[in-house]
Amino acid sequence: MAKLILLWLKCVILYNAVGAVFEDQVGKFDWRQQYVGKVRFSHFDTHVQSSKKVLVATENNVFAALNTRTGELFWRHVDKSGPEGNIDALLHHGQDAILVVGNGRLLRSWDVNVGGLNWEIVLDSGSFQKACLVGQQGTVKNVAVLKKNIISLHYLSNGHQKWIENLPESETVDYQTVYSGGNGEVYALGIVPHSHVVIIAYSTDDGEIIKQISVEAPWLSNIVASCAVIGQGVLICVDSATPSLYMCDLHLDTHDLQMTQIPLQSLGLEVAPDFQPVLVSHQPNSAHQPLSEFFLQLGPDNFLLLQLNNGQIVTLRDFKPALLVSFATTGEKTIAAVMSPKNKTACSINLFSAETGRRLLDTTLIFVMDPNGGKPEKIYIQPFLKKDDSVGYRAMVQTEDHTLTFIQQPGRVMWTREEALSDVVTMEMVDLPLTGTQAELEGEFGKKADGLMSMVFKRLSSQLILLQAWIAHLWKLFYDARKPRSQVKNEVTIENLSRDEFNLQKMMVMVTASGKVHSFRLFFFFQLFGIDSKTGSILWRHYLEDVPSNAAFKLMVQRTTAHFPHPPQCTLLIKDQDTGLTTLHVFNPIFGKKSHVNPPALPQPILQSFLLPLMDQDYAKVLLLVDDQYKVSAFPSTKNVLQQLQEMASSIFFYLVDSSQGRLSGYRLRTDLSTEQIWEVVIPMEIQRIVSVKGKRPNEHVHSQGRVMGDRSVLYKYLNPNLLAVVTESTDTHQERSFVGIILIDGVTGRIIHEAVQRKARGPVHVVHSENWVVYEYWSTKSRRNEFSVIELYEGMELYNSTVFSSLDRPHAPQVLQQSYIFPSAISTMEATLTEKGITSRHLLIGLPSGGILSLPKMFLDPRRPEIVSEQSREENLIPYAPELMIRTEWFINYNQSISRVRGIHTSPSGLESTCLVVAYGLDIYQTRVYPSKQFDVLKDDYDYMLISSVLLALFFATMISKRLAEVKLLNRAWR
Amino acid sequence: MWHRERIPLLLAFVQSVLVVGWCFTEMEAGPGAAMSTQTNGDRFKIEGRAIVPGVKTQDWVSTARVLVDGEEHVGFLRTDGSFAVNDVPSGSYVVEVVTPTYRFDPVRVDITSKGKMRYARLVNYIKTSEVIRQPYPLQIRSSGPHSYFMKRETWGWTDFLMNPMVMMMVLPLLIIVLLPKVVNTNDPEMRKEMEQSMNMLNPNPELPDVSELMTKLFSGSKGSSKAGSSSKGTRPAAKRR
Repeated sequence: MAKLILLWLKCVILYNAVGAVFEDQVGKFDWRQQYVGKVRFSHFDTHVQSSKKVLVATENNVFAALNTRTGELFWRHVDKSGPEGNIDALLHHGQDAILVVGNGRLLRSWDVNVGGLNWEIVLDSGSFQKACLVGQQGTVKNVAVLKKNIISLHYLSNGHQKWIENLPESETVDYQTVYSGGNGEVYALGIVPHSHVVIIAYSTDDGEIIKQISVEAPWLSNIVASCAVIGQGVLICVDSATPSLYMCDLHLDTHDLQMTQIPLQSLGLEVAPDFQPVLVSHQPNSAHQPLSEFFLQLGPDNFLLLQLNNGQIVTLRDFKPALLVSFATTGEKTIAAVMSPKNKTACSINLFSAETGRRLLDTTLIFVMDPNGGKPEKIYIQPFLKKDDSVGYRAMVQTEDHTLTFIQQPGRVMWTREEALSDVVTMEMVDLPLTGTQAELEGEFGKKADGLMSMVFKRLSSQLILLQAWIAHLWKLFYDARKPRSQVKNEVTIENLSRDEFNLQKMMVMVTASGKVHSFRLFFFFQLFGIDSKTGSILWRHYLEDVPSNAAFKLMVQRTTAHFPHPPQCTLLIKDQDTGLTTLHVFNPIFGKKSHVNPPALPQPILQSFLLPLMDQDYAKVLLLVDDQYKVSAFPSTKNVLQQLQEMASSIFFYLVDSSQGRLSGYRLRTDLSTEQIWEVVIPMEIQRIVSVKGKRPNEHVHSQGRVMGDRSVLYKYLNPNLLAVVTESTDTHQERSFVGIILIDGVTGRIIHEAVQRKARGPVHVVHSENWVVYEYWSTKSRRNEFSVIELYEGMELYNSTVFSSLDRPHAPQVLQQSYIFPSAISTMEATLTEKGITSRHLLIGLPSGGILSLPKMFLDPRRPEIVSEQSREENLIPYAPELMIRTEWFINYNQSISRVRGIHTSPSGLESTCLVVAYGLDIYQTRVYPSKQFDVLKDDYDYMLISSVLLALFFATMISKRLAEVKLLNRAWR
Repeated sequence: MWHRERIPLLLAFVQSVLVVGWCFTEMEAGPGAAMSTQTNGDRFKIEGRAIVPGVKTQDWVSTARVLVDGEEHVGFLRTDGSFAVNDVPSGSYVVEVVTPTYRFDPVRVDITSKGKMRYARLVNYIKTSEVIRQPYPLQIRSSGPHSYFMKRETWGWTDFLMNPMVMMMVLPLLIIVLLPKVVNTNDPEMRKEMEQSMNMLNPNPELPDVSELMTKLFSGSKGSSKAGSSSKGTRPAAKRR
């Protein structure tokens, strides 16, 4: 029966369905960009000549197949984020791709064609070292996995373990790599640093140790970094101290095996100072031996192609300068690709025969580097045999800014992927500037009247401009219509960017932060992207290095585009979370150029930063920064600003949160820009900790002051702009004793307006604070479900002071209403829609782990929902209370365009009151518009022009006919 | 008001009967299925199989994932539609197969601390203790494709003619045109009678607001024309503002 009632409720709810997508709107104003993250391993699918796939495994724990022609995804598998989903190795054989995941926890085999899993097995615990494919008699049937203390062999067909062996003396010997040359033996190579190398050969069939040798190598500390196996099983190592090469044959069965030393000087070679030489070898097929040719890197821009020929090292070719090298095999041919710098903005890639080192003709490819981007980091070569048996190729270049570029000869870029956009940390939407014509039109109304004649003249001239623009537009339409569709490209460039009629197109400024490893050190960098919200194309980008590793970012719009000729201005605040030291980056959000305004140097750690509604004489909003001495500095800090600040000082309040001490404190600005503390709230650290503090969005408008009740009285909202919602979680995580608390504090006076505790609940808590309500979501440990709770604040039936809200003069405590609901899914993030004037009803946008973004009308989260329906509640259109909120797929604003790992949703008002622009970002980026109350201010898409015109025409003819009939009738009557 | 809710109610009833029927049939299949227990320390494995009737697995497995308690644990589907989520500690979990195209109902799986006794049941967030057993290894059958889109309101002549507003306009027109022809207005007795009846109809101070009357009529009619299909009925919501 309960189910029946529930379903009945569902049906009731259906009637109120608002805000959904129509099928014909697909792709009209929304777009999605799917990313994979920074590529860690990549293989071209070569088992079919015509294959268009490139497999990538990334640092974001994503395994995907990209289309080499378009750069789009064939399929993508997003694993758990964090170390448990970390991809340790990618091996590729035929149709199968083998992944080692989670520090050697799982071994997975994927079917590359379908994108489905072949098998997945759990490996024994132990830290993963290396995996390799093992072949026998020309076919690859097994995969070997080397861990800290064990080695195991698995069948490729089903993942079953063939054998597993403990590695001898694994406490002292550090086993680092595993090698198989396809002759029925698997070699595990271990090292005791600065002492000796341990070589153990296992039989592929049963895991029996065939031989165990140790070789003296007191100069060696790491096999992976300085050794490689080449030719017929020859281990070759490079030592930078001597400097020389060392060789030993793994297949030799003598017990007093020695490493033969070949000084680099004897080859006429020299290592660049302070450089650790690197060896690059290549094994085209795991069932066969590796090549006897290999690369030796002697300096940052110096590579050598060497060959092992009858125990002698021969230099085939010296590449200097060269940035990157790579081997690739097609058919029987193996080639070496070398990327060398050409000039400051371009590199050239050339192919060389691996056996001889001769340059292959007509294989030059030019790679043009973005001056705002990073340097090339890796190249992946996809060679293919042309009809005349010569080698052609395509190259995928990965640069330091995580961009993937796929190029074809002679340098045509087939596609680029900005993988940095999978790590967006914050974003902002900025209005586009007006065009010249628009600005002129606006100017007409802006200026004061000069006189009748000039006004008339101006009016006429502006009409003329409009006419001109319209004709130009028509002409363009006509011109475009004649061209075939494929040629018509609405290329958006910075030059032709302009605001549209309803301000629906905006500039998305996105900040991405990601780490990169450079010479074994982790660096962080961030990039700024300017993206056109209509098409999703990247209009500008800015690459900045040397960012502290755990920086927090805050992006603020100081000046919008509304103040021509002053350029718009954005400020990015980069704060090192350890030290609190902060730098500012000021830029123009439309063009991405760094502003000529010099940000102040901030020697002191910054505790708090906020934008004031004050403006300087150049219309830039004032940014106030509070340092650890509680001193305030302003940016911009002109005389005008300081004067304004002095006047306003007594009404400028701010709050500080110290979550490590559980302290919230409020301060007031003094006229000399020092501060005084006026309140402090301490939350006992032993019991609970502050998780988040949420204020209201400064650009939020509330249209209606109250709600009309069923009996025609008005319930006024408590609209305190200074209200803060503080969320706490208990330090005790036991499921019986854990709780989630929410405290509503007035940020000016420190008065606690309301306090609520959810017992037997734990985080993560997602909060939205807006208008007079706070919605939060938590996990109920008792019932093991996600729950939503809503708090609404009302002043009561009378408004104390209807003209202005002051925190200092509000004697009555607000009425607090609260209700909770069950939500049938976990959530990733939550945000509320925002419109220009706040007339439109609000929706909550909820990012779900399944990839959907649910648009849940706020009226479902209304604490006034009655349990028993009365006449009055029906009059008010309140939905009867139901404990469970529904997830209806019709409410998914992104229909089947699911977005992986949604981290944030950004909402921004447009020029239309009905429309709110939404950008969801995570691994993917999705942009759309939502109409929480339908499109009430523009004609709908499905507006029936045919109907209205036919009705008009019909009425017109009807009047004509009836007029005629009336005339006839009058005439007849006159005759009578 | 009542008749437009009756059809969905009926549908709902049928649906719920179907759901109940399902669990019964699958209960029977349950005991036959093997309960393989492969333990790894104190970590266990959730196994099952997802089926989309009438669709080849190759066509949808590449977009599918198995989510356990949100994104707490993630599993992938094999090319035959079966799945196993490894490394799950004991506890109670909601297992969900997620694809952008097909809908699967979530299932709750409980793993005891020894990992031996585990069973699956339908998810019921309201009565959390209620157990409707499901087979284990899980058999999750898709209940069809997701419906993401609303239907456009199409315009048809019948809709137009049956609209009460149109009826209200047409009927008086007919009366005005036809009545004088039927009734002889020149007859003085008749005229008197008509005047009397007109007086009866004269404005009543208690008469409800015209606009309200209109909206009520309007919304009522909308409902009646759409009670069958659920995803419509947008007009009343828009009017609420």
